[in-house]
Amino acid sequence: MAKRFQIPAHVSRVVGFFRIAWPWSGMSSTTATAPASKASLAASDTAEVSAPGTAGQVRDLGTIAVVSIQLVLVLLVIHLFQLESRTFFHVMVLGTVGFVIHALLPLQYRLSFFTLLSLLAIPVALGLIDGIFLVVLGLLLIGVCHLPVRMAARVFLLLAIGALFAVWRMDLLPAPWSMAIWPILGAMFMFRLALYLYTLKHEEKRPTLAQTLAYFFMLPNVCFPLYPVIDYSTFIRTYYDRDAGRIYETGMRWIVRGLLHLLLYRFVYLHLAGDPIGLLTLGDLVQFLLATFLLYLRISGQFHLIAGVLHLYGFRLPETNHLYYLASSFTDFWRRINIYWKDFMMKLVYYPSYFRLRSWGGNAPLVAATVIVFLSTWLLHSYQWFWLRGGFRLEPQDALFWGVLGALVVVGSLREMKSPRKPRLGRGPAWSASLALRRLATFTAICILWSLWSADTVGSWLLMWMVAGNVAPGDLWLLAGLVLGGLLVAGRTWSVRETDDNTTRSFYRQPALQSTALLLGILVLGNPDLYARHSPQLATTVASLQRSTLNARDAALHHKGYYEKLDNNSRMSMQLWTKQAQKPAHWVGLPDTDAYRRRDDFLRGDLRPGAKIVFEDQPLSVNHQGMRDRDYPLAKPAGTYRIALLGPSHVMGSGVADGETFADFLEERLNRGDLGDNRHYEVLNFGVAGYSLLQQLALLEERAVTFQPDAVFITDSPGLKPPVVAHLLDVVSSRVAIPYPGLDALVRRTGVTALADPGFPVPFENVRALLGALGMETRMPWVEAVRRLPLSADSLVQWTLERIAAVTRGHGAVPVFVALDVVVDPPVKEVRALQDAEAAGFLVFNLFDLWQNRDRRALIIAEWDEHPNAAGSRLIAERLFELMQQHRSELRLDAAAPQLRTHSR
Amino acid sequence: MIQDIKETLKQHILKEFLPGEDPKELTDTTPLITGGILDSIATLQLVAFIEERYAFTFQAHEVDVKNLDTIAAITNFILSKKL
Repeated sequence: MAKRFQIPAHVSRVVGFFRIAWPWSGMSSTTATAPASKASLAASDTAEVSAPGTAGQVRDLGTIAVVSIQLVLVLLVIHLFQLESRTFFHVMVLGTVGFVIHALLPLQYRLSFFTLLSLLAIPVALGLIDGIFLVVLGLLLIGVCHLPVRMAARVFLLLAIGALFAVWRMDLLPAPWSMAIWPILGAMFMFRLALYLYTLKHEEKRPTLAQTLAYFFMLPNVCFPLYPVIDYSTFIRTYYDRDAGRIYETGMRWIVRGLLHLLLYRFVYLHLAGDPIGLLTLGDLVQFLLATFLLYLRISGQFHLIAGVLHLYGFRLPETNHLYYLASSFTDFWRRINIYWKDFMMKLVYYPSYFRLRSWGGNAPLVAATVIVFLSTWLLHSYQWFWLRGGFRLEPQDALFWGVLGALVVVGSLREMKSPRKPRLGRGPAWSASLALRRLATFTAICILWSLWSADTVGSWLLMWMVAGNVAPGDLWLLAGLVLGGLLVAGRTWSVRETDDNTTRSFYRQPALQSTALLLGILVLGNPDLYARHSPQLATTVASLQRSTLNARDAALHHKGYYEKLDNNSRMSMQLWTKQAQKPAHWVGLPDTDAYRRRDDFLRGDLRPGAKIVFEDQPLSVNHQGMRDRDYPLAKPAGTYRIALLGPSHVMGSGVADGETFADFLEERLNRGDLGDNRHYEVLNFGVAGYSLLQQLALLEERAVTFQPDAVFITDSPGLKPPVVAHLLDVVSSRVAIPYPGLDALVRRTGVTALADPGFPVPFENVRALLGALGMETRMPWVEAVRRLPLSADSLVQWTLERIAAVTRGHGAVPVFVALDVVVDPPVKEVRALQDAEAAGFLVFNLFDLWQNRDRRALIIAEWDEHPNAAGSRLIAERLFELMQQHRSELRLDAAAPQLRTHSR
Repeated sequence: MIQDIKETLKQHILKEFLPGEDPKELTDTTPLITGGILDSIATLQLVAFIEERYAFTFQAHEVDVKNLDTIAAITNFILSKKL
């Protein structure tokens, strides 16, 4: 064995306090040269503690240098693509610096250093106060685990404390900390406590304080509420149990793999995942099914990152996910996806259940234990959901998903009992047809099951299949391509399990080289300017991946107040939830404030005249005419050019103070006299948060035209169809008459008026007709209407635009369509409504690209809300002013201006 | 005795879980659970074999990687139970 590294006396004195304080009950203190634990013992044979100048030490320094460089590249990738949160970036900076110090420290001090680093990361991520409270609450839980009382008493106490925490989690009791600590505290303790207690009960060796604190507060956890369930025994057993350099290399490989998963996830999330309501054809359905399952890439990406980071601190943990898209059966799928969860279930549920029941004999104990595992998994997912999001997720689709998957795994297990699978020690054949078919069949079945799990309701999932019969011309080619490609990929033997043996690898297959090359490749790809000229499409796609934005569906859910009936908080996507979770509880939707007046007519609601409230932390006043503006005389004063501005929240000015809406700034800008006339300009703000295009039409007819506008500015975002659909569904289900015969006819043609029929909700028209013939009263269920009406959304929008243009022109005004979104990327796909607006005779002002290449953080009202702030509103006003200058003649601004300004504001 | 146990285990594993594989590929330190050779069902089948062959009973918490991941670990565990 190599000579041990001798720690200088002064260093020993400085760090000595760690080792005096660290040993937990039952552990004797160690000397400076002795290993601190069994894990250290295992590693003491490695080069890490060998004397300076030995070959091992030189190699380690080289590895540390390479890994450090790779980590810097990782930081650049995270920064360039804005991966995960800013907290994640900060913690990774801390982790990079920490890695270098940690790797250079003598082995026996590393665990203590890792613990300190982990504790330091908590206030970095959560702030000092929340960080301190999180640690204190965590220490309380750990302390209870070590009380000198019977295990049952400790468990009871933990349950009691857990119940108290649950009350706090539900915000039923005041607390000196913010709600932000619960997802993280939950992630740290909700499952690990069980594994820790299990170890305390069954293992003779007592954990040291450093081991315990490292286990519960481990470094990357603070920025990942969804965290793999790491087993305590594995955490300790694998600590530096192999050559450190190899452990670091594996860690880097997994970190890079995690980054790739996250980038792929972002592509799927932004460009493939869609709204099940918007599916039209078989091809859409196939894409939706595929994308829904592929969204799991985010979890596997995060888990790879987490396990990779822990490798950098010596924890040689097993893989968290292993080629799960290539599972060849349901039992195989269960073994490959979220392996830590499967191991957790095996340890705490499956084996204990099996051993308790095995006196039954035969296969019954195995079946029963598997059923118990899936039942537990279902319930524990809901328990996990509670700590992460504050609500339980016990819905039929969850029960169905776990029930069906459990049943399939039971059947698979029984088959494997009869004819066991044949694992291989070496590599299998290059390609196997039967393997390809089994994998493709399993993948397809899991895609379908996964879509059920992700569905808003079982009913909406069933109705989603209605479009399967609509085969578009390219759909069969798409399917054929997917099947063929799938078979080619699935039949190949992709890899054997992770191995430590790199000795036989050629130079270009060395993990460090591969990881570095991949990181450099991603960095080059992340600079689209380098190749935009040669490949503009690729450059645009990559550029879209460089921002952590919501996809079209989530953006619609997030920014509008219209989706209440369609939205189901418990099924919100992770991306959307991350955003929503930051929103303070008092930031409620406009309809839940005193400034909103509900109405029983087609408009459904408007601003309450004279209301004064604080909305999203800003004063919001409504004039006596129901506008967020000052009062105006109905009759337009002479020499005045009046603009009636209609639109949703960003027109009303959500999150900005009175006088800071873009309507205010535009009016101010127009009246500076830069247009070279003496007119007085008035911009009347009729904006109401959550308004659809149809409500803009209704308000235009009811109120805006009575103010004699010269121009009517209708404003909407790229996602203008869902609000129209949601508004009509609300109108129909509330049995409100549609005051426009043309629109009424369109809606009747879709059949959704059956939503308002008396009787039981029964899906499918044929079934309702059959039951009707039997004398039963039935109606269309909400989920069916939600599927049907969007199929006609384009026609509805087109009709609305034509009507607005006609009404505007009928009152002698110029119709203008302002295409404006909140502070986000411009839409990737063309927005058809712009063409429809032009065709209807609108002057179109396209401001979708307004926010490009700007510091968006400086232009939004809050981290969790991309509505433009005052600075953003000024930008909008400035662009509108420029466009008005460019289109003077269309806006009839070139007509002879009056000689005198009759009004000033 | 140790060698007997190892040989018995090796023959059983080769016959039941790795039919047709080269015996030289299976060493005392080949990872069985973490290497994907033994899944939960195979692990329980191996446990049943060991219990019958060496006349002792496993506890649920003893069915884990520490005791069953390699032929060497299983041998040590059997010895700890028998001695």
